[in-house]
Amino acid sequence: MHAETGFSSSPQLSEELRLLRMLHNVGATSLEKSLSLQQICEWTEMESSAVSLHLEKLVATGYVQFMKADDTDKYHVTLDGMRKVLSMYS
Amino acid sequence: MKICMLTWEFPPRIVGGIARHCNGLAKALASLGHDVHVFTLDFPGAPGYEEVEGVKVYRTVTELGHPNFLTWALLFNHFLEKRMGDVDREVRFDVLHAHDWLTATAGISFKHHTEKPLVATIHSTEIGRAQGLHNPDSLAIDGIEWWAAYEANKVIVTSGSMKGELGDHFHVPWEKLEIIANGISLEKFQESSIDKQSIRGRYGVGPNEKLVLCVGRLVPQKGIEHLVRAVPMIVGRFAEAKCVIVGEGWLRDYLERIARFTGHQWKIRFTGFIPDSDLVALMKSADVLVVPSIYEPFGIVALEGMAAGVPVVASQVGGLAEVVEHDRTGIFVYARNPQSIAWGVNRVLSDPGHAEWLTRNAKEGVQKAYSWEAIAKRTVEVYKEVVG
Repeated sequence: MHAETGFSSSPQLSEELRLLRMLHNVGATSLEKSLSLQQICEWTEMESSAVSLHLEKLVATGYVQFMKADDTDKYHVTLDGMRKVLSMYS
Repeated sequence: MKICMLTWEFPPRIVGGIARHCNGLAKALASLGHDVHVFTLDFPGAPGYEEVEGVKVYRTVTELGHPNFLTWALLFNHFLEKRMGDVDREVRFDVLHAHDWLTATAGISFKHHTEKPLVATIHSTEIGRAQGLHNPDSLAIDGIEWWAAYEANKVIVTSGSMKGELGDHFHVPWEKLEIIANGISLEKFQESSIDKQSIRGRYGVGPNEKLVLCVGRLVPQKGIEHLVRAVPMIVGRFAEAKCVIVGEGWLRDYLERIARFTGHQWKIRFTGFIPDSDLVALMKSADVLVVPSIYEPFGIVALEGMAAGVPVVASQVGGLAEVVEHDRTGIFVYARNPQSIAWGVNRVLSDPGHAEWLTRNAKEGVQKAYSWEAIAKRTVEVYKEVVG
C-alpha cells in the first residue's frame, strides 16, 4: 500500500474490467455480435445480479453499448472498450 | 521485394505505438517500390481489404472467440495465417515480418510452411511491461517472445536498451539483433494553421493557462501515476498550470482516484482516446510534454513532441535515454519520482528562452535521424540479408 494514499502499489484489474475483457475475447465487439445477459452469464459463470451491476457501470463509462433487440437486452464492447482491453496486453 | 507484414494493430485499430510504426514503415516501403501486404485484425467500420498509399491491407475477422486472452490470440493467429496462405498462393512472398508476440505464432508457422525467412520486430518485452513475470499469462507471453526471437532469422529492436534486454533475457546472439529506430511522419507536424486557443479550449485549457501534456496508454509502465502526484507541486509553482492526460487504458479508474486524492483534480483532465489530428494540434499547442515512463523501449511520444516543437520532459529510462539529450533536446527526470518530474516541468515553464532553445535543437535532430524513408531503407537491408 502507498503510504500517503492507501492505494495498492500494484493496482489489479477490477471485476468489471475482467468482464469487459471477456466480452471482447469472445467477440462481442459489434452490434451484430452483441450478447444477451443470459449468454454473458453462461460465458462468465457469474450471477446475473453481479453481471448486471458490472454492465451498468461499463455502459455508464462508455465501454459497453446496450441495445434492445426483440425484447432482449444485448451488450457489446465499444471502440473505447476495445482500446481499454487491448491496453492490457501491449 | 514482396513483403508480408503481420501486426495485431494497424490504423484505425490503434492501441499503442505498433500501429503507427507499422503504418509508417509499410507506407515508406511501398514508396520505395516494394510490394507490401499487411495482415492485421478487423476493426469496426474498417474495410476487410483496402489499398492505402500503395500498401495492401487485409483485415481478418477472428471467426471464433474465447474468454481467455491467450486462447483468443492463438485463434486470431490461426485466421491470420489462413488469409496469408490465400494471398501467398497468388503473390509468393519473399519475406515475412512479424511485429511483437501477438502475431508471432502465425509468423513462425508460416515461415516453416512456406520456407520463407522471418524477421521479427520486438517492440517491448513482457518482463519489461509488467516489470517482472508475476502470473501464468505473463510467463506464457514471455515464452512466446523468446520463441519469436529464436525462430526469426533476424530480430529488429528499436533501441540499444532493447538490444541489451533481448540479449540478456532471451540470450539472443548479438549478431542476430539489429537496431532500427522508430520513425515519425514529420509532415504531420509541419501543419502551421492550427488554432491553438480553439484546440486548448476544447480540452478545457484556458488562454492564460499553461498546458502540461502527457500522452500514453493508461498502463503502469507509462508512469502516469507519478505525473499525477507531481501536479500539486507543479501547481504550487505555476498556479495557471493544467495537466491534460491523453490516452485510454485499464489503469484509468486508479489514476482518476489518485487525481482526486491529490485535491487538485480540477487541474487534471483525462481525455481518453482522441483522434490523431487533435493529438498533433494539442502537442503543437502545449507548453510542455511530459513522458514519465518507468519502462520505455523507444519513446515515440517524446520524438513526436520534439517534432511538434514542444519542450519534452522525460524519464531517463530505456529508449528515452537514447532519444532525448539532457538539457540540449529535452530535460531528463528520475523515473517514479514526482518531485523530479515537477522540477523538470518547472525548469521548462520558468525559462521560456531555454525551452525554445531545447525545442529548436530537438526539431533539428528529429529531422536528421528519424524519417520513415531512412528507416525503411535500413529495414530493406535486413530483408536482403535474410533473403540471401
